[in-house]
Amino acid sequence: MMDVDEPLDFESEDHRLRKAPAATKRRKKVIGLDDLVNDHLKENKKLELKSKRAKARKDYFSDEDDDIREAKLSECVEKCQQEMGQISGDEEICLWGLQVFGKQKTLPQLAFHELGSCGLLQSFRGNELNSLVELDIEKGEAFLERLLVNGWLLKLLDTCGHVEKSIATWTCNLMLYSEQEVLSASACDFWISILSPTSKIKIDWLPKYSEIKRALEIYGFRSDLPSKFSSDVEMVNTDSDCGGPPQNIRAWIKYVAACVQVRKYSIISTSEAEELIVVLIYLFLDRLLLGLSVILRECMHSVINFFTDKEWSTSCEEVAKSIACRVPKDMNCLRTVESISGVDERSKHLRRAVAFQILVACLDIKATDAEEILRFLISINVKEKSCDLFKIYIYLVLSENWLLHNPTLEDKPVIHKLWGVYLRHCSCQITSTDLRSYASKVRSKASYLLQGTSSK
Amino acid sequence: MEKQGRIRSRGIEVNTMIILDASGFNKEPHDLIDDRLAFIEAVRSASIAPVNGIAPTKKMCAAIFQIMKDEGSLELIMASYQLLTELDKHFPRVYASIVEKSESPSPGSVLELVVVEEAWSPFIFGSDCEREDDNRNSGSLDFSGFEILIQDLAKVAVGRKIEEFETKYLRSMVLLQYIFSVLQGDFLPRNSVFKENMDWNLLTVSLLNILLGSRRISYKDLIKGCLSIICEMSHLHAELSDDMTLPKSSAAELFKSCDTDLAISFPEVRKCVFTALQKFLLMAMELDASRKKADTLGLTTRADGVRTPVVEIIQDELTYNGDAISPFFQVFNEPKWKMEIIVQYFQKYIAKPSVRTRRTSEPIDDATFDGVLKCFSNINSVKSITKKISIEVAQLLLAHGFQAYLSLSFQHSAEGNYKSKEDVKDNSMAEVCKNIISAFMNLRRIDEHVEILPFGKEALFTAATILSTKS
Repeated sequence: MMDVDEPLDFESEDHRLRKAPAATKRRKKVIGLDDLVNDHLKENKKLELKSKRAKARKDYFSDEDDDIREAKLSECVEKCQQEMGQISGDEEICLWGLQVFGKQKTLPQLAFHELGSCGLLQSFRGNELNSLVELDIEKGEAFLERLLVNGWLLKLLDTCGHVEKSIATWTCNLMLYSEQEVLSASACDFWISILSPTSKIKIDWLPKYSEIKRALEIYGFRSDLPSKFSSDVEMVNTDSDCGGPPQNIRAWIKYVAACVQVRKYSIISTSEAEELIVVLIYLFLDRLLLGLSVILRECMHSVINFFTDKEWSTSCEEVAKSIACRVPKDMNCLRTVESISGVDERSKHLRRAVAFQILVACLDIKATDAEEILRFLISINVKEKSCDLFKIYIYLVLSENWLLHNPTLEDKPVIHKLWGVYLRHCSCQITSTDLRSYASKVRSKASYLLQGTSSK
Repeated sequence: MEKQGRIRSRGIEVNTMIILDASGFNKEPHDLIDDRLAFIEAVRSASIAPVNGIAPTKKMCAAIFQIMKDEGSLELIMASYQLLTELDKHFPRVYASIVEKSESPSPGSVLELVVVEEAWSPFIFGSDCEREDDNRNSGSLDFSGFEILIQDLAKVAVGRKIEEFETKYLRSMVLLQYIFSVLQGDFLPRNSVFKENMDWNLLTVSLLNILLGSRRISYKDLIKGCLSIICEMSHLHAELSDDMTLPKSSAAELFKSCDTDLAISFPEVRKCVFTALQKFLLMAMELDASRKKADTLGLTTRADGVRTPVVEIIQDELTYNGDAISPFFQVFNEPKWKMEIIVQYFQKYIAKPSVRTRRTSEPIDDATFDGVLKCFSNINSVKSITKKISIEVAQLLLAHGFQAYLSLSFQHSAEGNYKSKEDVKDNSMAEVCKNIISAFMNLRRIDEHVEILPFGKEALFTAATILSTKS
């Protein structure tokens, strides 16, 4: 049994929760430069003391001498600093991240005049209960908002089994454009529930793909993102007022996930679903949406499962090609591959296909045959000074995603052999003293993967 | 075969853990983040990507959990959270499996519980002290760690303005979600097998039962902590955008001072926390229900201890803190238990003490919503009720009860097996609508000036509209 008498020690627990002991150790290492400066200052102090003593002895001698020594020391420190900078800081910081959302367009007007005439409110007119409810048709919208937020609206429509057009357009607008988070979220829940496969509600009007797309454009989505630009310019700057997408993006993602699940309404077509996958990939590339990755993944999962098996085999390749020619060929393309969850058959398939297509696009060669591509990769001389190891790193990760656990290549021992050769190539020809950026990354990645192939 | 598997997973462990090893290098912070991401990706590709992937070892799982618990980078928090939930799906610790039995007296399939003993768990409940010390480094949560997490979140919710919202709180919220999903993954299969074979032992060793029954934590405070997280976080929500009468105040404005990525994630994470808290409370209620069943069958022993049912604690808390009623039922909307809480609340004030016996299994007339409504149809009993509960609270509870009733009746009709009884059901729905209306009328009759709350008005509108479509 546990020790009941022992007092609860919140303090120490707390401490333990927040701070891993390892983290402090590491931090120490990171500030190695500061240590140097500290040492320098200490040294200065010592010198000062010495000089004071010296001054006491020989007044005429000390100042100049000290200055020289000081200058020498700081020169030395500077040199040290520079060298260290070359070793560790030379590595360019390459992060993924695109600013997918530009300036928002003005959100459409939400005033709905025809709402007052909707059957739901009208039928209540003249009801004797109005002495209690005190419903003012003029303020009908505010009342309906409350019905929506508090969940009554859904209950009402569940009983009458029918959603009027005015209610449908109004809630859809709230979902996509209301600046009040609670309205947008409630309207979204409303739509998810009336679209659910078990619901038997008749809906007079449905927001089609055009509405979905229009909303995205209004949010400032840049569908024309150039495929090649330097990533550091595009790095998301969180404190600038670039805006980013409005809160409604969450409702948008969830609505898309819900509407691709019901094929009976045919809200979107196959080609539109393909387009949606590309859009979702872009959303994954925006760091502002990192916190939404759970719902983004769920949405991706729904869209991928929208296709029938027959459609999927062709659509998957189409999507992969379209992604490959649009995604910038830097860390973003690795993020692209990694954002595809790879937990079920279809997303594994998509992940492989996307990795392969991006690799082909990066290599800029005609070959699309696995063997040829691998031979080409092996032919790159990584020892050469001019060889861009950053690119090699990207090739390595892309090929890993393309080749590993690929059922179509399972019975081709040549491919596995070449893959092993390539990995050995990358891990052995780059020495541990290679100071080029990404040298250590390529080497350790390749040797890690090599362990995997040899243990098989 | 098994030995081979162990060797393989050991090999993967060595290879992947090395990615995290930063000793001997001068690493920049972003390098460390990179390494951790690479580690997460490596575990994913070793365990989930292959068709027959092997579960990561305890050490690897603990490392992922540590990343989620301690990191300050949103990317790492999300990535580790997703990997952990994905791993739980692929390699459940506990699951119910259907076993075909042909020899037993009653041939057919039997539900059996499978427990993977060697699986990693983020908890270190019920272990002896020595092991606990051992585990201190692994970063697993123990009783007090769990309690602190709840308290922290409750505190954050009370004291903080949205501007001060930081990654740290987002992390705690994500952590809480994960913890609850682990508890659930452990409890649900156990409970469903218990319902089949009545083996109470399955539930006594469930993480949830150990946690709630532990004398190391204050169980009541834990439940109250959950309630206060719900109420306070709903207030944040209210501050942001709930004021319907104000001209559109943009949520983005309020968020301006904090990072946009957090601002966009916050409502989503909060919603997930609400769902997780509701799930947690529901599990505790289901546990209570199963416990009651075990009690009546005489399966429990003294070692099981005594614990106040969750419903009672919640109902007490709502009694003392009337302001909590609205936000709580906004979040807690599972109709069956919502109804249970509301009916019990009323029962306390309606039921005659002589009739009320604690352990009767027979339904008493007023133990249903219909019974409650019946009391409200009589002006004298309404008078006596409103002496004990304020008219506002009565309105809120009636309206929420009505909502739960509607949800329940749609659930039944969606299940679709009551076709023949359709008329009967419609009749009773009309009946309930009428009773709700007359209950509110009676409240007004007691006091001419009583103000009908907006939520009450909405309930009345709904009831009247349903009546008019049914007639």
